[in-house]
Amino acid sequence: MRQAALATGAAVVVGWPWAAPRYFVFLASLIAINAIVAIGLNLLSGYTNQLSFGHAGFLAIGAYAAAILTIRAPALPVPVSLLLAGLVTAAVGLALGIPCLRLEGLYLAMATLAFGFVVVEAILSLDWLTRGNDGLRVPAARLGPWTLATDTARYYLVMTVAALLVVAAVNISRTRTGRALLAVRESEIAAQASGIHLAAYKTLAFVVSAFYTGVAGGLFALVVGFLSPDSFDVFLSVDFVAMIIVGGLGSILGSVVGAAVITTLNDSLAGFQNYRPLIFGAILITSMVFMPGGIASALGKISGARSRPPRQGEDR
Amino acid sequence: MISRSSVLLLLAVMLSALPVAAQQPGVSDTEIVIGGSNSFSGPLAFTGEQITKFGVDLYFKVINDAGGIHGRKIRTVYYDDAYRPQDAVANTKKLVEQDRVFAIIIPQGSPPVVATLDYLEENKVPLLFPYQSSPVTRGKRYVMQGMTLSDRSSKMMIDYLAGQRKVKKFAALYQDDEYGKSFLTAFEKDLGRYGLKLVAAESVKRGVTDVSAQVAKLQAAKPEVTFLVLVPGPGAQALKERQKIGWNDTIMVSTGPLTDERYLSLAGDAAEGVEGLSLWPDPVSSDLPGVKLYREHMHRYFPQNEPNRYSIAGYCAAMLFAEGAKRAGRNLTRDGLMAAFESFKAYETGILPPITIGPDHETQKQGFWVRVEQGRFKQMTDWLKSE
Repeated sequence: MRQAALATGAAVVVGWPWAAPRYFVFLASLIAINAIVAIGLNLLSGYTNQLSFGHAGFLAIGAYAAAILTIRAPALPVPVSLLLAGLVTAAVGLALGIPCLRLEGLYLAMATLAFGFVVVEAILSLDWLTRGNDGLRVPAARLGPWTLATDTARYYLVMTVAALLVVAAVNISRTRTGRALLAVRESEIAAQASGIHLAAYKTLAFVVSAFYTGVAGGLFALVVGFLSPDSFDVFLSVDFVAMIIVGGLGSILGSVVGAAVITTLNDSLAGFQNYRPLIFGAILITSMVFMPGGIASALGKISGARSRPPRQGEDR
Repeated sequence: MISRSSVLLLLAVMLSALPVAAQQPGVSDTEIVIGGSNSFSGPLAFTGEQITKFGVDLYFKVINDAGGIHGRKIRTVYYDDAYRPQDAVANTKKLVEQDRVFAIIIPQGSPPVVATLDYLEENKVPLLFPYQSSPVTRGKRYVMQGMTLSDRSSKMMIDYLAGQRKVKKFAALYQDDEYGKSFLTAFEKDLGRYGLKLVAAESVKRGVTDVSAQVAKLQAAKPEVTFLVLVPGPGAQALKERQKIGWNDTIMVSTGPLTDERYLSLAGDAAEGVEGLSLWPDPVSSDLPGVKLYREHMHRYFPQNEPNRYSIAGYCAAMLFAEGAKRAGRNLTRDGLMAAFESFKAYETGILPPITIGPDHETQKQGFWVRVEQGRFKQMTDWLKSE
């Protein structure tokens, strides 16, 4: 049953560019990129209860790192530049994670919010490298003999990376590390009492989260093809938080579903012009009221196959 | 079992599909669909809404009520990008691939426009009259530039001030981005022709409104003219700061994009005596025949909406599109439209000076000098030249 569902899902993902119009191939790439960010954010917020409003900043670092690598070192294969983008972002995540460990709840949210603004300022100040407000055009990346110049080529790259990162996240969540992170989320005192090194695991969550978002940023640069500080405003960070809340905190499937819902919603509401923020907000509030545990847990309730018992702290 | 009626239906569908397939995207027997990504939320939401719904759509209402263009009505589709480049890319792809628009009309802001430039050029989709002043859009095969580009504005401003009025000492307060820097580079180049240099230049970060430190530094350099390359908020703040510290021996001069009614109303009485380059005739008080007609149309279709230079910019863009589509004929194609634009020789809009479109694809190349008197822009010169 589970394998059949997985096989169907894989077939849909592989066959999508042949069945769907070109625009939806592009949109699917965006959804997958946002899903990677949502998984990364969920590892931090859903698993260790550290809320971040600065993930647009991490996305920007990954995006600029990959873009600058693609421009300065065109011979570099895509997987290497994506990996480097992830590692650079993870390093920044480590630097930010260590001081932020001392903060909790609202204060952490404030610090990460500030981080998002600092990244935008840094992009502006480093204009010899980032071209500041003029924006950076990202050339098509190379993978061996191929140039990833079409929406379909970029789609397969994004989907491959997303699949790898989903598998990695599922594995992390099932290991001792994943359970330790969940324990931190439930009660920091109890987790410490069970021998979990609080500081180490919280930092780890920050670093892994930043890595995921950095890789997603690299893909974002390639798929969108143009970067500017305007791309990474605070509302993008809020969108990411909305994805994991709508999808379901602490659930990988929820992250993917949340990313799909919010991305599609943003896209289809663009036509409502001035009313977009209003309708978007109303839908978010409604879904929070009727599905406080997110879509993943609501789906679980319907099919009666809930994988996890209800947790406290859902009211955040 | 295939019935006769279903075969007939199938035939009918195939026949009706044939002429459509032979036509250009966005053009049917009865309709032309064009669209654009614009700011309906975010920092430039007011401008975006005025340009599109009260500008472009206003003129198309007039045209459609008069029977359309070669029997086709014009329909517009707009999507909100909130000034974010990635949303502009997504919206533009959707417009081209899903809505199959014939052309993109008057998208706003350098970052969102530049983000979609290569894509539109590759797909040979006309990008018409983008509302931004950076020269990156110049000389593209499928782009028709709208707003006067920064280097042309600079040439007019320096030629008028250094050439005609013999001003020697210039300074600039500029926004630290593409808009500000493209002006700064152009000022330095144009001043060079007169053997002059900027005596001081201070930058303002985008989104910052406190400019007191910069204004104090500029005052110390004692310029005769201080250029303001800003947006309305900080621009008005600079005027108020100048008034507060009693700095009277400089003329503040606003660039084309800044010279608008919003800047004026924000500055209040601090704007008195301020000068600037205006890219548009005064939408409220001008007696030009096209502007009068614009006010009449606005009053007829949107009586609640005040005339302003954003909606007149959109109105003018729609007018140029309609004229181009008319000249391209009943058999409307994208290449035909671009060729039709290139045939414009001294075309009269009644709003702008006569429009001739050359290989640079620029529709606006002129502005005129204004001075603020009793809270309104008073025209000081005829249209200046930038050739």
